[in-house]
Amino acid sequence: MQFGIFTVSDVTTDPRTGRTPDDTERVRSILTIAEHADQAGLDVFATGEHHNPPFVASSPTTMLGYLAARTKNIVLSTATTLITTNDPVKIAEDYAMLQVISGGRMDLMMGRGNTGPVYPWFGKDIRQGINLAIENYALLRRLWEEEVVDWQGKFRTPLQGFTATPRPLDGVAPFVWHGSIRSPEIAEQAAYYGDGFFHNNIFWPMSHTKRMVQYYRERFEHYGHGRADQAIVGLGGQFFARKSSQQAKAEFRPYFDNAPVYGHGPSMEDFTAETPLTVGSPQEVIDRYAAMKDAVGHYQRQLFLIDHAGLPLKTVLEQIDILAEDIVPALRKENEATRPADVPSGPPTHAERVVKARQAGATAGGHVAGDDRWTGKTAEDDTEAADRAGAAFGL
Amino acid sequence: MTERTIVVVSAGLGRPSSTRMLADRLAGATVTELAARGITATVETVELRDVAHEIVNTMLTGFATGALAEVMEKVTRADGLVAVTPIFTTTYSGLFKSFVDVIDKDALVGMPVLLGATGGTARHSLALEYSVRPLLTYLRADVATTSVFAATADWAGETDTVNPLPNRIGRAGRELAEMVAARENAGPADLYGDVPSFDQMFRNL
Repeated sequence: MQFGIFTVSDVTTDPRTGRTPDDTERVRSILTIAEHADQAGLDVFATGEHHNPPFVASSPTTMLGYLAARTKNIVLSTATTLITTNDPVKIAEDYAMLQVISGGRMDLMMGRGNTGPVYPWFGKDIRQGINLAIENYALLRRLWEEEVVDWQGKFRTPLQGFTATPRPLDGVAPFVWHGSIRSPEIAEQAAYYGDGFFHNNIFWPMSHTKRMVQYYRERFEHYGHGRADQAIVGLGGQFFARKSSQQAKAEFRPYFDNAPVYGHGPSMEDFTAETPLTVGSPQEVIDRYAAMKDAVGHYQRQLFLIDHAGLPLKTVLEQIDILAEDIVPALRKENEATRPADVPSGPPTHAERVVKARQAGATAGGHVAGDDRWTGKTAEDDTEAADRAGAAFGL
Repeated sequence: MTERTIVVVSAGLGRPSSTRMLADRLAGATVTELAARGITATVETVELRDVAHEIVNTMLTGFATGALAEVMEKVTRADGLVAVTPIFTTTYSGLFKSFVDVIDKDALVGMPVLLGATGGTARHSLALEYSVRPLLTYLRADVATTSVFAATADWAGETDTVNPLPNRIGRAGRELAEMVAARENAGPADLYGDVPSFDQMFRNL
């Protein structure tokens, strides 16, 4: 089972000190947090994608590309990549590039994840959110899996004889998760493709998360990717831990009380009772998260939100150490002890996917030959280029 | 014997509250009228005051918890609803509206609803018609033609000598009973019951 952290990249005033980091400091903090997670031995670092203050993570592949060079083992992911407002052609290229640079030590999570005003900034309409997710992802898959793509759809200009570059590492597309909190349509989409399904759980009672995951599992089996209990499931979570429960509660309370998402609302006690947020000793975190599998079945990835609400960098790094040293080993042991042998321990790695692709008879498409008939041409010449394009791509 | 569940939502703030008093009377009249039609009705009464904090929390966090989650479940599954609010500043109370705002927008579709309101003087009586009724109509509830406003003086039998409060309550209860007798709540639609298949979604782009 993979354990890791995910950031939403909020810039929030520290309620204890009244200090607010600027964007530069916050971006650098996130990089430090990711590197520290790698050194501490966590399995995954994931970043959200936001295009509005108070968030700073607008450009995940730039950040993850840097981290690919700075880290050794950790899987670099997004949480989530906006499949609705990003052009699928650019996603295909950006993440194939990241896959090549990181040596396959990456995956990505698709999400709609936007509030209404964000859509028009990218020329999109939120009322088409689900449709955009369906069409864009279908195109993205084709761009990774097929070398030359002719395509026509509703939401972007048609493609003729188009090849996304670079080609995916070893000719095998990155592993994809689909994140959704309340749209069963997205669970259906993940199941259709046999991709992973991630439920970000953190603001919801378990009954809700359980039902959604169950639906994904049923549909995963329906589409013939394996048994329902073998489907690839990930959950979000959040905790704040100190040696003693009292210490943790006292230190975290001002952050909770002022957090942008739940601050000034329910009490910390109410919120922790109703959602997976756990504030207490490492053992309390272990007990809470070991019980997740009782509700959703054995799952493959657990990501924790730990760097939000204005918590200072030093504290976040300490939380990573507590997670890596005290919490993860116990949780891993607990989960592995009861996992049936034919239920996957983690999501498929790049190496495993390459083996599987080769067994299925797929050969590596490392590069597609083609002449550049476009660069430097005038508009008049384009007609001629287009006429020849079919020949250039062997069509 | 046929059975029905009537859920009573009272947005009164005081204890005791005249809003709750009116709510109980309306529910009582409905139960009596249902019994006359051979229907046993169970009444479940909710005072929004008890879940006021949860209502605000739900607005801030986006999900209902604890007692409020149970209240929402009850309302959604009711065969009939009696909704009573005090009239504040020309319209329903903020607490009443906040509750309506956090329940699922489809929870009241087709639901037989009897409206009641309380206020200081009879001059506020039309607030039910110009503000509370349109709200429920927007939610596509099936609102009884008669709604009951009780001014302070009504409780002393002083306001309306032609058609005193008990008469109006009786008529309203009869109307709701007719509607509830005619329709049994099939329960909320299964969120996962009609999720389109991937092929359908793809075809419908």
